[in-house]
Amino acid sequence: MPDPGARRLSVVVPVAERPSPLDGIYKEFSRPLREAGFAAEFIFITTPANASLLSTLDKLIDQGEPIETGIANASVGETGLLSAGVAMAAHDLLLTLPAYPRIEADELPRVVLPVVQGAHMCVARRWPRKDSWLNRVQNQVFHAMVSSLGGRRVRDVACGVRAMRRDVFEALPLYGDFHRFLPLVALRDGYQVVEVDTAQHAEDRQPRIYSPGVYLRRVLDILGLFFLIRFTEKPLRFFGLVGATTTLAGGLIMLSLLIDRIQGQAIADRPLMLLGTLLVVLGVQSIALGLIGEIIVHVNAPRQKGYRLLNPAELDQLRESGEEGATNPETPTEPGTTASERSEAEAPPHPLTVRGSPR
Amino acid sequence: MALAPALSVVVPIFNEVESLPILVETVREALEGQGEWELLLVDDGSTDGTRSLLMRLAENDRRVRPLYLARNYGQTTAMQAGFDHAQGAVVVSMDGDLQNDPADIPRLVEKLDEGYDLVTGYRLNRKDRLLTRKIPSWFANRIIRFLTGVPIRDNGCSLKAYRRELVRRFHLYSDMHRFIPAIAVATAGARVAEIPVRHHARQHGESKYGLSRTWKVLSDLLVIKSIRSFRERPLLLFGLLSVVALSLSGTFAVRSLITVFVYGRTIFIFPSVTIILFGLTVYLIMLGLLAEAALFHGRRGIRTLSPLVATRSGDAHPLRREA
Repeated sequence: MPDPGARRLSVVVPVAERPSPLDGIYKEFSRPLREAGFAAEFIFITTPANASLLSTLDKLIDQGEPIETGIANASVGETGLLSAGVAMAAHDLLLTLPAYPRIEADELPRVVLPVVQGAHMCVARRWPRKDSWLNRVQNQVFHAMVSSLGGRRVRDVACGVRAMRRDVFEALPLYGDFHRFLPLVALRDGYQVVEVDTAQHAEDRQPRIYSPGVYLRRVLDILGLFFLIRFTEKPLRFFGLVGATTTLAGGLIMLSLLIDRIQGQAIADRPLMLLGTLLVVLGVQSIALGLIGEIIVHVNAPRQKGYRLLNPAELDQLRESGEEGATNPETPTEPGTTASERSEAEAPPHPLTVRGSPR
Repeated sequence: MALAPALSVVVPIFNEVESLPILVETVREALEGQGEWELLLVDDGSTDGTRSLLMRLAENDRRVRPLYLARNYGQTTAMQAGFDHAQGAVVVSMDGDLQNDPADIPRLVEKLDEGYDLVTGYRLNRKDRLLTRKIPSWFANRIIRFLTGVPIRDNGCSLKAYRRELVRRFHLYSDMHRFIPAIAVATAGARVAEIPVRHHARQHGESKYGLSRTWKVLSDLLVIKSIRSFRERPLLLFGLLSVVALSLSGTFAVRSLITVFVYGRTIFIFPSVTIILFGLTVYLIMLGLLAEAALFHGRRGIRTLSPLVATRSGDAHPLRREA
């Protein structure tokens, strides 16, 4: 058994939506980590509304189990809970774990190990999927949107089981509901992110239907992610494209009206003119908004460092391996691979790659 | 710590494992006897062995300083990273694909010495494909010259020399490296000169440009044009636009009144258009105020935004000037 002192781990459990009994979570997920030689402290963090849930842990804490609990300010979301939990964490190796089972507990060490071995982040991917067709359809639609808009190849963004180094977590700009996209944000900053296939937990296979508000939030999250990843530095490319398209459409309508007018038809009572005007106005507004965005980017450019250089540790890693693959994995993982490819349960971690900004 | 070099050469590198040794060698030859220099090779997330090669090259010559970006950020960001780390009083940028000739560097620096802040090369006898590279580039240069008012013949040539004071004053992001002269004039009031430089055909590797970037260039141009004209007073830009909207709105208002009172007809379309356009007028003015607010708060605490000032001592030979 490896030396437990060398493998100290902080497990952060944000308790937000539909939590399972927390004592059960602790018992189930701490065991495999302990057996794999990790000395893991568990940090359960929640909002005042869910504070009563923490009481199930009291008995375990009295028994001397390594559990910390915290109640964050009411206004924080799950991302805020994660940040608060990480701030409480004692160790530099972190594992985030949702308060409801996502993957089989025995798989946890496999998620942590790649980070111990030098990766910046390792995300668990529930595969093969064994849940209801409803969940699968939802999940596929969600990921199709994420990968088409975000242009990144993370295949299970919704699974919150992720191991990472503390410095990586702290370097990432996170707010709102962006914890979901943590791997994408990390890839965007050039960190090495790997993905492991893990068995899906039995409880995770139940069909789930959310309230309409949840679906709306997800779609807005993806839209926000799409904009932030593609256009934060060049807002006019986005707003301008929308604006130019609508202005062009409106302009064509107005042109056709003008031709009718020249041919002697009356146009004063044609509602089409209203549509044309509205489209042109909408287009001008979009372009003007894009320009505002550009002014903000331009003014802030001097204080932004738009890139990340490899740090000395990464350089050493590169020097030792002598291979590009060490810090810049070349093997791309395909988003829509078939089931036959991953029949083996002990599939190696997939390195995730990132596309640079277009030249 | 060694004394800061007088000259920094910044080269963004992306998958140039074949060109790299030749590049370092030609730079070394070209700068022989030119005083202290450093060669900043900015690796932009290469995947073909360029990184390991850079490490070896840097071990052999302390003047070769590699920087490793964590991923592929694009040429503009790589160039900015090099500028951020350049120590020389004169900074030279060039491409890593051997199409520029380092032998031109001393001539650029000499020209800079005549009292310019930026000397940019233009490619005589360009060795590129006519249809996909030269013709689009001819149009692009015309449009850029017309819109920015900066008379640069060849915006696509990366070989340029800058005074350090200028480099500290602009911050490149997005794909702005194509418009460095226009940005330098717009944001820092740089004095720009242009001299012919040699251009070689691509020997190794793939060209990393494509033709499908018209929209990007157009939208970037609009940005530079707006920033150049209105960076100190964005309210004026939006004010002018709102005047256009207001006068259109007024035209439709008059037309509505004529229809109602002269022809005695009841209509809805023209008054509606009047109201929409008036709404746009108000909206644009409010956006202008927002831009002013962004500028007002954004400028706080940034000293490098002051324009360049020509001084007598600025005429000294940059290579001999104290770092």
